[in-house]
Amino acid sequence: MTLPPLAQAAIAAFIVLNAVILMVAYVTLLERKFAARMQSRIGPYYVGWPHGWLQPIADALKLMLKEDVVPAAADRWVYNLAPIAFLVPCVLIFATIPFAPGLGVADLNIGILFFLAVSALEIVGLFMGGWGSNNKYALISAMRAVNQIISYDLPFIFTALVPVVLAGSMQLSEIVSAQTGLFGWFVFRAWGLGVLALLAYLVATIAAENRVPFDILEAESELVAGFRVEYSGMKFALIQLGEYAHILGTSFLGALLFLGGWLGPGPAWLGPIWFLLKAIFVFLLITWVRWSFVRIRVDQILAISWKLLLPLSIVLLMAAAFAVAWSGGARV
Amino acid sequence: MTVETVGFWLVAAVLLASSLAVVLTKNLFHAVLYLAVALVATGVVFLLLESPFLFGVQLLLYAGGVVTIVVFAIMLTERLVGERITQTSRHVVNGAIVSAAVFVAVVGFLLQAGAPAPVTERPDQLAGLGRALVGPYAVTLELLGVLLVAALLGAIYFARADD
Repeated sequence: MTLPPLAQAAIAAFIVLNAVILMVAYVTLLERKFAARMQSRIGPYYVGWPHGWLQPIADALKLMLKEDVVPAAADRWVYNLAPIAFLVPCVLIFATIPFAPGLGVADLNIGILFFLAVSALEIVGLFMGGWGSNNKYALISAMRAVNQIISYDLPFIFTALVPVVLAGSMQLSEIVSAQTGLFGWFVFRAWGLGVLALLAYLVATIAAENRVPFDILEAESELVAGFRVEYSGMKFALIQLGEYAHILGTSFLGALLFLGGWLGPGPAWLGPIWFLLKAIFVFLLITWVRWSFVRIRVDQILAISWKLLLPLSIVLLMAAAFAVAWSGGARV
Repeated sequence: MTVETVGFWLVAAVLLASSLAVVLTKNLFHAVLYLAVALVATGVVFLLLESPFLFGVQLLLYAGGVVTIVVFAIMLTERLVGERITQTSRHVVNGAIVSAAVFVAVVGFLLQAGAPAPVTERPDQLAGLGRALVGPYAVTLELLGVLLVAALLGAIYFARADD
């Protein structure tokens, strides 16, 4: 018996959605443990044995039980809809990611464009929250976010397009299958272009996710918690979930574009596990930067983007195009 | 009715309602949010027409880019905290007449053109579009690029003049 395609798609989406939420919950635990180790602490330990395995579940339960406070002066509709408008794009980006050949919700032929387009919508929810709270810290945070996103969207898109040019396809599964063979991952290929593109991708990702050292929009010392300062309980949980889902989605995309996705030694069923390990590696690189550097100023953030990262990413993209054209369609 | 038909009417209703809300709402920030809804709904129409590439571009450029820049402009020009900023639509009647005229013209054009032939085979749209942009339309594309650079330089000039 085979189900109709619509039901199949719905079941696949349901499974991926729940897997993503579970992964996001445990990625927060991973980050807390990692950060704790970097600071010679132990991190979450007592909830669940051993090493705080139940901490994310406890956090989720706690946030669900908290009182939901709506500021009296808030723009009610905008304030209440903002967490949803923020979460939906962040989760939707997983729709096109293939976790193994044929294992995913939808392997579109414009896969990467869909990813970039949907993740650009995240900003709408962000400034809905910043504006709707009617709080000056939240509003300043939203302004800074707009500033930063205008600056870092272009380098992010251009560096993500380098593997597209090298693979000659926008379909994510074809980008992976173009990276087969020993040292076939794009990070090793094209005479160092791949490594540079991966580095630029990581910097642009950290900036686009508003993490340290680019986290001026939630700088605790001046803006308390940025655009989410007024949120509590489940709405706060939704915003956190969205943020971590976005980071995890970008890590998966990075692993897919530069590190060969599900390719790896061993039988084919190991593919999703390789992919997950690579994505966690990219996530830990981002986390490593987060816990090693200090926050930089607004003008420094903008200067890095417009004077360094944007020209670099354009040059990389053009160099990749030249490399492909020069080799006449052969592997570079 | 197929799923596509139901989807189309739903999206069309959302698109129409949000577009009207953009011009009729009093709160300028709400107008921007309705604009975002309208732009995303337009993208979904492209998706229903089986053109996922246009859907992606619509979301990336309009819903992601244009809305961000409009919000940026509002935040830079209006008073931020305190009283709500309002928009007042003048010439509502004149605007309605113009849009009705455009609607009649488009419908007339569509009726004259007749029903399109049903599409049976779908070539790779993306590759076709790419070849068209560097082939027959290469000069047009370059001219558009020059136009955008000119607009950018003009914006910088006017921003400088204020100092």
